[in-house]
Amino acid sequence: MNKNFADLNVNPCKMCVPLGAATAFYGIRKCMSILHGSQGCSTYIRRHMATHYNEPVDIASSSLTEQGTVFGGEKNLLQGLENLIRLYEPEVIGVATTCLAETIGEDVPAMIKKFYEQHPEYRQVKIINASTAGYAGTQNEGFFRALRAIVSQVEMRTEKNGKLNVITGYLSPADQRYLKELLAEMGPEFILLPDFSDNLDGGHETMYQRLPQKGTSLEEIAQMGGARCTLELSRFVRPEDSPGAYLQQQYGVPCTRLDIPCGLRGMDALLSALTQLGGRQTEKIWQARSRYLDAMVDSHKYSALGRALIFGEPDFVQGTVKLCAENGLIPVAALTGAVCPEFRQALSEEMAAAAEIQFIDKFVIEDDADFARAEALAVALGVNILIGNSDGRRIAEKMHLPLIRASFPIHDQVGGQRIRTIGYSGSLAFLDRMANALLLQRASGFREDMYKKYYLAGATKPTQIGLATDKAAMLAKKTAEHPCFTCGQGKYARIHLPIAPACNVQCNYCLRKYDCPNESRPGVTTEILSPEEALMKYQRVKADMPNLRVVGIAGPGDSLANFAATKATLTLLHEFDPDVTFCLSTNGLMLPAYAEELIRLQVTHVTITINAVDPKIGAQIYKYVDYMGTRYHGESAAGILLANQLTGLQYLAQHDVVCKVNIVALKGINETHIEDVVRKVKELGAKITNIMQMIPVAGSAFEHIPMVSLKEIAAMRARCSVYLEQMMHCRQCRADAAGTLDHDVSILYRRAERLPADEAAPLQRVAVATKSGTLVDQHFGQANEFYIYESDGIQARFIERRNVVRYCQGKEICETKTDRIEALLHTIKDCSSVLAMRIGDSPQRKLEAMGIRVIATYDRIEDAVKKAAQGA
Amino acid sequence: MGTAVLEERKQSIITRDFACSGEGFGCERASVAGSVSQRACVYCGARVVLNPITDAFHIVHGPIGCASYTWDIRGSLSSGSDLYRNSFSTDLREKDIIFGGAEKLARAIDEIVQEKDARLIFVYATCIVGVIGDDIEAVCRDAEEKYHIRVIPVKAPGFSGTKSQGYKLACEAMMQLIRPHYKEQEKPQGVNILGDFNLAGEMWIIKNYFHKIGVPVVSTFTGDASYDSLIRAPQAALNIVQCAGSSVYLAKCMEEEFGIPYFKVSFFGVEDTTNSLLRVAHAIGRPEVICRAEQFTAVEKMKAEHFLAQYRPHLAGRRAAIYVGGGFKAISLIRQFAEMGIRTVVVGTQTGSKDDYEVIRHLTEDDTVILDDTNPAELERFMREMRADILVGGVKERPLAYKLGIAFCDHNHERKHALGGYEGVVNFTQEINLSLNSPVWKYLRGA
Repeated sequence: MNKNFADLNVNPCKMCVPLGAATAFYGIRKCMSILHGSQGCSTYIRRHMATHYNEPVDIASSSLTEQGTVFGGEKNLLQGLENLIRLYEPEVIGVATTCLAETIGEDVPAMIKKFYEQHPEYRQVKIINASTAGYAGTQNEGFFRALRAIVSQVEMRTEKNGKLNVITGYLSPADQRYLKELLAEMGPEFILLPDFSDNLDGGHETMYQRLPQKGTSLEEIAQMGGARCTLELSRFVRPEDSPGAYLQQQYGVPCTRLDIPCGLRGMDALLSALTQLGGRQTEKIWQARSRYLDAMVDSHKYSALGRALIFGEPDFVQGTVKLCAENGLIPVAALTGAVCPEFRQALSEEMAAAAEIQFIDKFVIEDDADFARAEALAVALGVNILIGNSDGRRIAEKMHLPLIRASFPIHDQVGGQRIRTIGYSGSLAFLDRMANALLLQRASGFREDMYKKYYLAGATKPTQIGLATDKAAMLAKKTAEHPCFTCGQGKYARIHLPIAPACNVQCNYCLRKYDCPNESRPGVTTEILSPEEALMKYQRVKADMPNLRVVGIAGPGDSLANFAATKATLTLLHEFDPDVTFCLSTNGLMLPAYAEELIRLQVTHVTITINAVDPKIGAQIYKYVDYMGTRYHGESAAGILLANQLTGLQYLAQHDVVCKVNIVALKGINETHIEDVVRKVKELGAKITNIMQMIPVAGSAFEHIPMVSLKEIAAMRARCSVYLEQMMHCRQCRADAAGTLDHDVSILYRRAERLPADEAAPLQRVAVATKSGTLVDQHFGQANEFYIYESDGIQARFIERRNVVRYCQGKEICETKTDRIEALLHTIKDCSSVLAMRIGDSPQRKLEAMGIRVIATYDRIEDAVKKAAQGA
Repeated sequence: MGTAVLEERKQSIITRDFACSGEGFGCERASVAGSVSQRACVYCGARVVLNPITDAFHIVHGPIGCASYTWDIRGSLSSGSDLYRNSFSTDLREKDIIFGGAEKLARAIDEIVQEKDARLIFVYATCIVGVIGDDIEAVCRDAEEKYHIRVIPVKAPGFSGTKSQGYKLACEAMMQLIRPHYKEQEKPQGVNILGDFNLAGEMWIIKNYFHKIGVPVVSTFTGDASYDSLIRAPQAALNIVQCAGSSVYLAKCMEEEFGIPYFKVSFFGVEDTTNSLLRVAHAIGRPEVICRAEQFTAVEKMKAEHFLAQYRPHLAGRRAAIYVGGGFKAISLIRQFAEMGIRTVVVGTQTGSKDDYEVIRHLTEDDTVILDDTNPAELERFMREMRADILVGGVKERPLAYKLGIAFCDHNHERKHALGGYEGVVNFTQEINLSLNSPVWKYLRGA
């Protein structure tokens, strides 16, 4: 979906077709245009063009009224043409239709014919008509459609003239001027269509001429049919709108289509095409190219800071994307308001390559987009620079982003008509503006940014903002990879992190005091981890098992009875691995209190153990419940627990958390009640239930209750599968389980950080001669200080820094070489080894005589100390 | 391009072709005249160290150039006053040079004290003042008596030595500031961090680490320091010195006069940061601090390694050139590059010692070119010959690298990204990646 709504465009990223037609007609010498429709159309278009180009823009209107709309507008158009000629004396008139004229079915060619018949005195005025219903596209289509109308309605002189047709899309007058200069410099004779470089960016003349005096003349247009070839600088023009394609079909003038010459590659391609057509490569052009290259290099590190959202007409966006990409400025979003099916494919390879450099995996290319969509994407993709017309200013203001204005319209700044984006020099100017915006952003923001990021410590990292549409897909993927939720349970691994020792419910079947590494059942663990240790464990297991997807917090107590530890663990883990799936097991007592926060902590899967939905039955299962500082027994305990379980389950399910409900089957207590439990939890949104055997634990209240047989469990599951999906592959995992369900390897990962004691060497005291304080980088004889360590070969423990001078017997004595050596020896006499970069023979002998080992090395201090202690 | 080495410079260069024998390597000597040295002056050294003191008035006594060049060009950050980002100068003119500028200085101080709420003023004497002999000590002493504020002279004429001499002068100025606040009977607590200038918030990063492992920070020199924070320094139990070149002298003075022990640390790179934090924890000696430090560093180290593993394929096999101020920074960079799989092929320093170069030789390969106090012509020649892909240096060298089609990383006081601590590892790696792998290079080669 390219808009936030399917049928509602919020803040349009396009204009209408007649605007483009009127602009194109401004590139024809002595041409006036008239819009056949109601007069608002031409007024709006004039307003937009006048503020962008800062030139008088006169566009007539046939001013259709209600009468004209109902009975036909012929009268209005004929009168309009006549008046227009009287006022402006044009040589060419462009008649562009509007939505209204097209919808009521106006036959404009017939009207023009009639006009000529009625006014033979105006036969020399060339009237060209373009069919440009506003709903038929955007200004870009209107632009080309007018050009196509021009080349197809002007009588061509088909004799070969050797000239080159150059047809452009929407360019600024300044860019058109550049193109003319370039063509003149390179030599081939050319006809540029259209050319509004003067008409829409004129000078101040003594005498104002209301009729546009410059531009492509009828004479030149007539020669286009006899030209040698056409270069059409638009990748996305539709074949049916393409003037080049028309000239090729009609007059056999071959047409080459090129990208807009924005950026190095775009311009190189144009240059090479022109050279092949006999154009000269001049020193001036070469210099411009090398200057642009130099600027690319000079700016490349600033460019690399950019994450751009580029919007506008497809050709403009494509050229700009390529310019950004070749400079390492990452285009993360390319949007056009036009409908353009080829747009995505044309850009995706380019954008993927740019993003890969900085490990950015998300970029978006969309046609038919609006600004509401642009804004959502700007937030989601971390955009820091906008490039496009001034309609992006609302997003820029709201998000405090720079907007590099280019293309059309620009009506909140002057100079829109002079903005350069093509050619080497234009690309350079365009690039400079982007780089400067990024530099300014950093220069003016970095003090505050760093202050917030580093000084106001403890400030949490912003959470990743995902697109709403991705959430369901993410959840489905995570569920599919969750070993408890999927039948392919052997493929993905999970780890249970035992961080939650305390429990707030005493179940009659549970006893948590056992600690046997060979026993596997819930509530069992050999150790309790701190959140930091839990992270370390996750990292170690993840390094060995890339298929590790799920982290479960399953006790050995209740995860929510230890909420601080649970929260800290989830936060640390998410920071380390944003893709991890969190799965939490709980008895549900504290769910109403913490459910909201669990969702914030990115918990996507929760397992709640609900053994009964009737407090009378519950009372037989739970010995007591500790809730809000009070211990409850009997039915009141079971009632509180049940109410909280059901409230929590419903809340989580409503907020897209995937909930599993575990039910422990207890012979003679809840076996016949289990179907009710399943029905109830299904009603509240549980996705799956897991009916399990109770494992009798010696010392627990249910120690002597017989087990429900596996056969009975299977039968219960079969009955309940009518209501809800059943988990058939439960392994009743330990609280510190690790690995796949079929292959638990938790025993390998139990607190293996420290080497077994028998591998540690006896504690050694080591002296280090160092200058930098980081490396062993001092000669023994030149040392003025030693860093003293103790080490068992596994850890290096810093004791102190010793100043040699202090160990002299007064300063004078130290000045002779022998006394200095004596002082050195004295300084480290309690050490068993000394590390130095180098040492003389005589001190070495003396040290060895004192029983001090000498090791020469350049190593990092701590590493060298450990090695020394191991070798001792 | 073989002619780019001056005869007098040959002693200070080691290449595979002409290695001068070990002991004979020419470093720690005056620059060769006309060779386009990159070294700076005494004033520069003093100014670098003192400038980050945020609420001090730094008055440059001399002609305007020295004040203009050092006006707010560094990325030291402040959590309080922004005063240090102004440039105050007596702006000496011809008349002052002839008749003396001391009175103008005294009047300038009067103006500042009357207009602003000044508590601490540093007065720097630059080259010309050293020559014309203004008695700035007397002017400062008078001002202190008159206004009961601190006015501290820093006699730093550029010609009077090297940048290191300037560091020492700055350290002396700071001792002058804090000495009166030393009280013997006080029970020491916490640490001072010396030699970090809070570039892009690096001091904050390090302080946060200490906060996390439970070590109070008393005072910082001089990143984000203020008058009030500095005068607390004598109460600390321990000084840790990050940039030893500039600040170890201050640590030595504080050890001698206040009995505060010190040692050196480094927060560049994963290993150095981890070792330094553990060292501080062990020196503090409290079990809970050691335990927190072990946990904290283990987690951060793993995060950093995870991060580096992602980037390594983008970087491995590339070739680096390094040209930085001190030997220590060069050594640290060689190691950090090695961790990324990048080989250092050219390395030089402005002020490295013989020992530094010995370590450098040991850390690099046989054909690595080693240069002391080099110049642009040599850098150009050897970066070409050794086919360096990236240069780490100061901004003066940046355009040269670019002209040669070589990527660049700023590692100086003007940078706007933190390179210290674990955060710095991430920033440094990203910085290297985005320059080294910028698409622009392939268009240069295609040209």
